[in-house]
Amino acid sequence: MKKIRILLADDHQLMRKGLRLMLEQQPDLAVAGEAGDGREAVALAKSLKPDVVVMDIGMPNLNGIEAAQQITQSHPEIAVVMLSMHSDESYVLRVLKAGAKGYLLKDSAEADLIKAVHAVAGGKSFFSPAISKILLDDYVRKLKRSGSEDAYDLLTPREREILQLIAEGKSNKDVANLLNLSVYTVETHRSNIMEKLHLRGVPELILYAVRKGIIS
Amino acid sequence: MPDPMPASSQKNISRTRAPGEDSQSEEHSRQLGRILFAAFAGLLFLLILGGLNALLSVRKLSGIEQEVNRRFVTHSQALSAIVISVHVYDDQMEQSLLRGQKTADSAKPFDPVTRSAEIHAALLSYPSDEEPDEQLLVQELLQVLTQQENAFAATSSWGPEDRDKRTHLFIGEQLIPQRMRFLQVSQEISLLNRKKLGEEKTALDVNFVNVQTRIQWMVILSLTAGILLSLVTGLYILRLERQGRLRYQALLRGREELEGLSARLLEVQEEERHSISRELHDEVGQTLGALLVDVGQLSKLVPPGDRAIHGQIDSIKSVAERAVKSIRDMALLLRPPMLDDLGLVPALEWQAREVSRRSETEVEIVSENVSEKLSDEIKVCIYRLVQEALNNASTHAAAKNVKVSVIQAAGEISVEVSDDGRGFEPERQRGMGILGMEERVKRLGGTLALQSTPGKGATVKAELPLPSAKSL
Repeated sequence: MKKIRILLADDHQLMRKGLRLMLEQQPDLAVAGEAGDGREAVALAKSLKPDVVVMDIGMPNLNGIEAAQQITQSHPEIAVVMLSMHSDESYVLRVLKAGAKGYLLKDSAEADLIKAVHAVAGGKSFFSPAISKILLDDYVRKLKRSGSEDAYDLLTPREREILQLIAEGKSNKDVANLLNLSVYTVETHRSNIMEKLHLRGVPELILYAVRKGIIS
Repeated sequence: MPDPMPASSQKNISRTRAPGEDSQSEEHSRQLGRILFAAFAGLLFLLILGGLNALLSVRKLSGIEQEVNRRFVTHSQALSAIVISVHVYDDQMEQSLLRGQKTADSAKPFDPVTRSAEIHAALLSYPSDEEPDEQLLVQELLQVLTQQENAFAATSSWGPEDRDKRTHLFIGEQLIPQRMRFLQVSQEISLLNRKKLGEEKTALDVNFVNVQTRIQWMVILSLTAGILLSLVTGLYILRLERQGRLRYQALLRGREELEGLSARLLEVQEEERHSISRELHDEVGQTLGALLVDVGQLSKLVPPGDRAIHGQIDSIKSVAERAVKSIRDMALLLRPPMLDDLGLVPALEWQAREVSRRSETEVEIVSENVSEKLSDEIKVCIYRLVQEALNNASTHAAAKNVKVSVIQAAGEISVEVSDDGRGFEPERQRGMGILGMEERVKRLGGTLALQSTPGKGATVKAELPLPSAKSL
């Protein structure tokens, strides 16, 4: 079985050492390289062509978000897992917009890193479980204080199904095949979902799905 | 870093004023006011005195002159009355003598007694001043008159035959010379009078010149005093004005220095926060993170059955996690990396959610056209301003809802934070927080407006100019 090749990017050597130790205990994982800042990470991603980049947000020269954006733009096949200290949705959304597939809180890196690497290598998203709880808490509190309804209740069962599939990273065509629908119908459902939930773009949709616990 | 000492020592100099100096200078200026008042009063008194003196002197001189003229006129009139009466007496005497030669009866009889009485009356009515020369001359007149009277009395003893012979002789030898003599004496009196008038007029002139000189001196004195006084006053006013200007300049300079200092203070504070935050996050935070990873590794190496060691490891983990969390909170408070990582609006949204999580206040962020390339200064200013306003709204004003709007337009960016809390009185209640906001906004050339009524919420609005190079 082919090993999953990983690039580690963190400006702290101690942190990189710990992460490497953890990853290399897995038989199917291999650390292909280490980068000390964002710029180096971009360069190494281009030369090493790893399957997964595990990257810290706060790095000198080029921060992790910018680096992730550059990597996913030039190499969409590389999956980025972002390591972050922040559990706020501003960060999650920004990271999603940068094209990262996974969002891992540093607190729980030790517990979830292996799972996250496997998930993104398999084309899925991964978010630390704590994230979705915090996002949901914020959302519920806001709904309660403003007295508005949860728009999720407005979605039809079919729309909920499609929402989950899109959030998991499936394209319109994949969804159409899976559900035996025409691509056109899927597109219509998709725009209805966006409108009902007041979402702009796929990153917001993924964030919404994470918040609702639809994906993790 | 520049040495802050020069600025502070300068400040000390301008501030080291004795506490009693103000009251001292007040006393000084009050005293000066009194002196000036006295000087002006003195000048006025001098002017009034001079004027009165001149007026009185002139009035007195003109009185004397009138008196002199009057005396001369009365003397002249009296003299001419005497002369006329003597003339009449002599004429009548002459005619009576000549008439008596031809016919004894005549139309007009000569009455020597009445005429003589008239002359005597005129002589007596001559003003009798203490003027010996004049009196002597008047006495001489009287003598001449007496001679005449006596001579005429002698004619009555003449017989008719004598009368023809002696009349002409009497007229030629007695009457005419006596008449001449009389005229001569009266002429002398008149001359004496005129001379006296001349003398008195000269004396008057001298007096007048004296008065004139006195008035002149008075005017010169007043004028000099006036000029001196206005000179002194003018100089004093100039000095006061210069002092006032200097003080005003010192005040301005002091304020400028203070503003510069507080701007620098903010800058230093922000830098310091940045570096402490970075230090905490990068060094302590990351080290602890690595520690956590290692502990995780360690727990995997320990056989699952060894509960005691696993308990210890879990305890170490939770302590380390607590430390990580508190260090992260500190670092975030000092300098949220969101500003650098995400840009202004997401950082504000993060802040809004933080406030919502911690308190009962719900915060809504609205943004329009906010560029992602704002300068660091402006981002930090807006961020701190919103932070302060949100803190006020949630802790002091107990607001339920806060709306934050950030709107960028050509050349400026405006931030408005309005809440539905308790409100305050912007004129009176200005805490350090509001001062800090003002300071930050002013430093970037912007304006800050506070609007609030107790019980009706508060609105903080700031407008910041954007560098024109970037908006173009």
